[in-house]
Amino acid sequence: MQHRFFWIAVGVLALAYPILTMPFPVYQRLGALVLLAAIGASAWNVVGGYAGQVSVGHAIFFGIGAYSAVLGYHYLGLPPILGVPLGMIVCIAIAAVIGVPTLKLSGHYFSMATIAVAELVRVLVPTFDSLGGAQGLSGPTLPRTVLDLSFTSAMPYYYLFLTVLVAILFVTWRIENSRMGFYLRAIKDSERAARSLGVEAGRYKLYAYMLSAAMTAMAGGLYLTMIGFVDPESGFGILISVKMLIMAALGGAGVLFGPLVGALILVPLEEISNSLLGGKGAGITYVVYGAIIIIIARFLPNGLLALLKPTQVKPADAPNGSPVGAGEKHAA
Amino acid sequence: MSSPQNAAPQASVGAPLLSVTNLEVRYGDLIGVADVSLVVPKGSVVALLGSNGAGKTTTLNAIAGIVPASKGKIEFEGQAIAGQPAYAIVRKGLALSPEGWRLFVQQTVEANLLLGATPLADKSQAPHLLQKVYAIFPRLAERRLQRAGTMSGGERQMLAVGRALMSAPHMLLLDEPSLGLAPAIVESMYETFQKLHKDGLTILLAEQSVDLALEVSDTAYVLQVGKSVLSGSARELANNAEVQRIYLGAGH
Repeated sequence: MQHRFFWIAVGVLALAYPILTMPFPVYQRLGALVLLAAIGASAWNVVGGYAGQVSVGHAIFFGIGAYSAVLGYHYLGLPPILGVPLGMIVCIAIAAVIGVPTLKLSGHYFSMATIAVAELVRVLVPTFDSLGGAQGLSGPTLPRTVLDLSFTSAMPYYYLFLTVLVAILFVTWRIENSRMGFYLRAIKDSERAARSLGVEAGRYKLYAYMLSAAMTAMAGGLYLTMIGFVDPESGFGILISVKMLIMAALGGAGVLFGPLVGALILVPLEEISNSLLGGKGAGITYVVYGAIIIIIARFLPNGLLALLKPTQVKPADAPNGSPVGAGEKHAA
Repeated sequence: MSSPQNAAPQASVGAPLLSVTNLEVRYGDLIGVADVSLVVPKGSVVALLGSNGAGKTTTLNAIAGIVPASKGKIEFEGQAIAGQPAYAIVRKGLALSPEGWRLFVQQTVEANLLLGATPLADKSQAPHLLQKVYAIFPRLAERRLQRAGTMSGGERQMLAVGRALMSAPHMLLLDEPSLGLAPAIVESMYETFQKLHKDGLTILLAEQSVDLALEVSDTAYVLQVGKSVLSGSARELANNAEVQRIYLGAGH
C-alpha cells in the first residue's frame, strides 16, 4: 500500500513539475534535460546494465540519431522528428555490424573496442562536408509547422521526453521479466556458464545491443529537436558515452530506475557547475565525472538504488564469480 | 568407425555413446590437451583420472564445446560434435557440471536450476524436472529462494549437478565433483551419482581422487600431460602399479 502511494506521488509530481515551475523557465528546461539524459542512460542500460556489456561507444548511436534528424531537415526539408525513425533503423544495422565482432570480446576489451569505434567515427565525421564538417548542422531556426517541435518554452519538450522515457522504461521492464531478461542476467553473472547451459549468449547480447542502439538513436534525435544543433563533438564526443554510463552506474546499472536516478543527480550538478564556472569551466565537468567514476567503483559498485535493497549486498559471497561480477559490470 | 586404442569394453554396456579420438586443444601456443582418445559406452560410468594439469578439465570443456578442439574427432550418439557451439551440444543431451561450479551467484537456487532447462525443446517439462531435481537433492528444495552465492560448497556442488540435470541429459560430464568438499558430503554425492547411473544416465567423471573414482566407474582413462596414457577396467587400474606411479609421481 505504501508503495502504491509512493508511485502515485512520483507520477503526479512528474506530471505537475513543469506547471509548478512555470515561473522559472530555467527549471522547466532543467527538467527536460534530466529526462533527456535519463532516456539516453536508460537506453544504454539495456546492454550495459542488464547484459553487463559495458559499452563506452554509445555516442555513435546518439550522434547518428541527432544527425539523421538534422540531415532530413537539411536536405529534404523534413521536420527533424521524422528523421528519428530512420536514424533508429540505421543504428540497428550499425549495431549489428559493430556488435558481431566486438561482443565476442569480454569485459574491458569490449569497452575499449567500443571506444575505438566511436572515436573513429568522431574523427571521420568532420571530414565530410555533406555532414556539415566540423561546424555541424542546424535544425529549423523558426518553426514552420508544429511538427518541427521548435518551441521557446521547455514544457512541450518535457512532456515529449517524459512520454518517451516511460515508453523506454516500459519496454525495458517487459524485457527484464521475459526469457531474454532471464538469459541476460545469466550472461552478466557468468557468460561461460550461461553458454555451457545452452544460452545462445552471442545472440542475446546482440539483440540487447541492437535494441539499446535504437533507443539511443531516439535520444539523439530528441536532443536535436530540443537543442536544434549538432556538431561532431556534441553528437559523437566520448563524453556523451561516458555520461550515459555514469548516470546508469550511479543510480544502478541493470536496475530499471537506476539511470533516471543518476540523471536526477548528475544533470543538475552539471548545470550548477556550468553556471558557476561559466564557459571557462567546461573542462571541470571531466574532473567531476572522473571523481564520480572513482566513487562508484570504490563505494557503490551496484549503484545508489542498491542501498535501498539490503538483500543486494552479501559480503559472504564466495570467491567464485562475485568479484568478477562486481569488477566487470561497472568498470569504466 | 575405427575404435580408438584398447578401450576395454565392458560386458554389461552398449554401443559407444561418446567417442573422442586424438583430441588436441590449444590455447594460443599452449597445448592444453595433446592427444586424448576415449570411449564412453552407453549406460556406463567412465572415469577420467590424472593429476593437476593433466588435461581433464580441458578435455571435458572441449567435449562440451566450451573450448574449441584444434584437432581430433568428438562423436556423440554417432554425430560429430567437435567445433559446434556449447549451446548446440547441450541441446543434444550432453550436459556439463563444471569445475568450480560456475553458478550464477547473484541469483536464487531456483533461477539457477531453471537456467539449466534452457536447452529443452519443450519448456513445459521444466516444472517436472525441477521436482525431480528437488527429489534428488532435497537440500536444494529447502534453499530454493536463497541466493546461490550464499550457499556452502556441498550445496553449490549439488546445485551445479542439479542444474546440469535440468536439461534432461543422456550423458553427464562431471568435473571434479569432490573438489574441496568434506568427506561425508563427497560420499553422499557419489551415492547420488550411482543412483543416477542406475536410472540410466551415462556419466563421464573427471576426478583426482582415484580410489573414489574407480569405486564407481566401469572403465577409466588416465591422462598425463595432456595425453591418454592408460586405460582399462576400473578393477585392472585399481591394481595397476603404473597408476600408482603416475599419481605418486615416483620414478622421476
